[in-house]
Amino acid sequence: MANVIVNRVAEFLKSFPPFSFLSKEDLELIASNVEIKYVEQGEQLFLKGDPAEPHFFVVKEGAIALTENRGGKEEIAEYCDQGDVFGVLALLGKRPYVLNAQASEDSLIYMIPVAVFESILEHNSRVALYFAAGFASGQVVVRLDLSQGQIARKALGNHSQDHSLLIFSDPSVIKISENVLTGSENLSIQEAAKLMSFQEVSSIVIVNEKGFPKGILTDKDLRTRVVAEGISLDTPVSNLMSDQLIVKKSDAGFSDLYLCMIRNRLHHLILTEDGNSNSPVKGIISDHDILLSMGNSPAVLIHALLNTQDLSEMRAIRDRAEQMLRYYLENEVAMDFVASVMTEINNVIISQAKNIALKKYTHEYPDLQHIKFCFLSLGSEGREEQLLRTDQDNAIIYEDVQEDLKEKAKEYFLKIGSEIVEILIKCGISPCPGDIMASNPKWVQPLSVWEEYFSDWILKPTEQALLNASIFFDFRPVAGHFSLSEQLTEHIYQEVSKKHFFLNFLAKNAYLNPAPLGFFKGFIVEKSGEHRDQFDIKARAMMPLADLARLLTLSHGLVKINNTFKRFEKLAELEPNHTELFIQAGKAYEILMRMRALEGLQHGTNGRYINPESLGKLQKQLLRNTFSPISELQEIVKIRFQLDYFAK
Amino acid sequence: MNWGFFKRSRTRPKDFVQEFLDSAKTQIPDIRRIDQLSFTILDTETTGLDPQKDHILSCGAVKIESQIIHISSAKEWYLESTKKGKEAVLVHELIGSNSKIELENFATELLQYVGKSILVGHHLGFDLAMLQKALSPFGFSEFPNPSIDTMNLAIRLDYGLLVDRSRINLKEYSLDALCARYMIKTEDRHTAGGDAFLTAELLLKLLKKAEKKGIENWGLLQK
Repeated sequence: MANVIVNRVAEFLKSFPPFSFLSKEDLELIASNVEIKYVEQGEQLFLKGDPAEPHFFVVKEGAIALTENRGGKEEIAEYCDQGDVFGVLALLGKRPYVLNAQASEDSLIYMIPVAVFESILEHNSRVALYFAAGFASGQVVVRLDLSQGQIARKALGNHSQDHSLLIFSDPSVIKISENVLTGSENLSIQEAAKLMSFQEVSSIVIVNEKGFPKGILTDKDLRTRVVAEGISLDTPVSNLMSDQLIVKKSDAGFSDLYLCMIRNRLHHLILTEDGNSNSPVKGIISDHDILLSMGNSPAVLIHALLNTQDLSEMRAIRDRAEQMLRYYLENEVAMDFVASVMTEINNVIISQAKNIALKKYTHEYPDLQHIKFCFLSLGSEGREEQLLRTDQDNAIIYEDVQEDLKEKAKEYFLKIGSEIVEILIKCGISPCPGDIMASNPKWVQPLSVWEEYFSDWILKPTEQALLNASIFFDFRPVAGHFSLSEQLTEHIYQEVSKKHFFLNFLAKNAYLNPAPLGFFKGFIVEKSGEHRDQFDIKARAMMPLADLARLLTLSHGLVKINNTFKRFEKLAELEPNHTELFIQAGKAYEILMRMRALEGLQHGTNGRYINPESLGKLQKQLLRNTFSPISELQEIVKIRFQLDYFAK
Repeated sequence: MNWGFFKRSRTRPKDFVQEFLDSAKTQIPDIRRIDQLSFTILDTETTGLDPQKDHILSCGAVKIESQIIHISSAKEWYLESTKKGKEAVLVHELIGSNSKIELENFATELLQYVGKSILVGHHLGFDLAMLQKALSPFGFSEFPNPSIDTMNLAIRLDYGLLVDRSRINLKEYSLDALCARYMIKTEDRHTAGGDAFLTAELLLKLLKKAEKKGIENWGLLQK
């Protein structure tokens, strides 16, 4: 018998369609999975363009207004009150919301999980038709007479798609302007501006007599550097133009160009014949062109993130990024592009978090304001491989301070670190179960202590130290003063080259992870516990590869490449007799990342455990193929680091 | 009210109790935001109002996470018992029709369910005193979890932290009175599950009100 709380929820739902069409069992199933939220007047439930949540909504008490922007004005499209159902796009189209939802009174909202409801839709045609009818009539399901809905079914078949992301499957959609407005260095500002307005463009590229780019002048420069400063219009452009140019090759891939703009926050990117500034100008891309052609793009999201310090908004943007991620993955967009974009988005969130934290605490510690510090991402985020919001691993490193400031500095940076960690939690990145975070005093330390930590791990490679290696050796500076992180890197490099046997320990560790295939070429699945009979893709396949890549790059004295597939790429270059194997290993890692992320997105988990039975034949084969480089690499490592002679 | 007059249990904690005590010790950072906290809202129905003599008939609970009540977490336990207090039957109209659970199974399930969440109840002290007594045979003495009493929270939101309780009419802060004031329809009153559910709705509303007053993180909320 269901308990009194479930009964209470079911009782309410029962009196409103479509729930009134449900059998007692179905109703109980729905009721026992309801989530209840309270929103106050004026609070937003979702905004137009937000990705559909995994549930739809029923008003329990109060009223919700669904609004849309028409010509800059918020117009009310529909009012929902007790018993009304809304936000059903989640159920039907899995597309972003087309209206804004705002509480027009204090309201209690029931949220019905789509996953539970979907099974009911399949076998209950009355309910399906009910939603179909509502869907056709402007996405808002109000209580309506079923007879009106009979015609609605057809409409379900072809709901329009969101084009904002399609651009990546077809780069040709983006127009690279080949008719670039150019001018010579001795033009006056006024002459340059005249040319720009005549051609109706927002920039002019200044070139020398050979057509090589020397600088660029944009609308913004005219506003901020000329008009605002009151500079004479006869000044030559060469005095004003931006001459720190970043240029790219004109036939570079779209994702390469686009990433370059995102990373360097460029508004205009100049393309030349050879990809350097000693070659003639061939084209130009402006961010405006890109922004206009896309809704949910990395640039739009990053731009939005840079312009907010509101935590709920940051969270919402990060949720959107996940929708974009799913699109990329499903459409086989190159993994290094996908990973770079997601990393960049996380980076921006972290630097915003840092800014918020500083704003909150600097005034309490005026004498510490000038102490340099750096926020480090560790583990997979450090390797730029974190696609899903799995655990955070991070730390803070700060400049060594005088004796009398030590305690204060400790306190201050711990506060900063804890604040950043909390903001990341709020943005959906869950805390590290091992507490390796910048909110743990142990991992908020001055440079000298960090150097000791690493020296200690390298000198005394205990089991724990080797475990730490897999997280800490992949650190990456994200916000603050990167020079501190570079000093640490340098220190580690020195230590490792002095204590070479550390690598043998590391090698042993990399070799210990068993090959993922069993005797009969079946997957090795977990034997017990919550994940029984599931395949642990992280521990069995990804970690061995990441460990091997780290070990081999360290043994080559390479300390600056963090990313696993980039490490393999580099190794392929360095060891010509194993090139093929390393390329395969890199590819395998990309495939595993993609599989894990898709699995996670599909099931709302961290994607770590995959049920081999649920995989299609092709996917199973693909997964199995990724294993062969692992055992081959382990063999190489075994010989190279003489593991057989190495005491157990 | 002071419920601290029970003698501490001397029994060595059973494994499941020890496991719970170890895991529940974790501290919540003061700056954790309210919408990141997890709460267990609970209520017990008892044979009477004297924790020394009376015992628990049933216990209901539900969880709030991310400021959302998760109905899937709703629980009701009806305890096996030898006695039946007349008073309880009169007040609560409980009838012995639900399937009952043995005390030790109840204790195991309850502790696992509570985990390290924040305990919430209306007159929580009474419920905790009853539970602690019920669990004492297993070496349990008290919940290490942080807790919130919705009655105290409601008073604080009206009068602030430094209120003189003797000047407040506590009748206005009974569960019935607060439900009426916060427009929560009272149904299933005097069942453990029903009261826990009402208290959860009340907590949702109180937390929003608290946030509006600038009480936005755990450090401020637990004051």
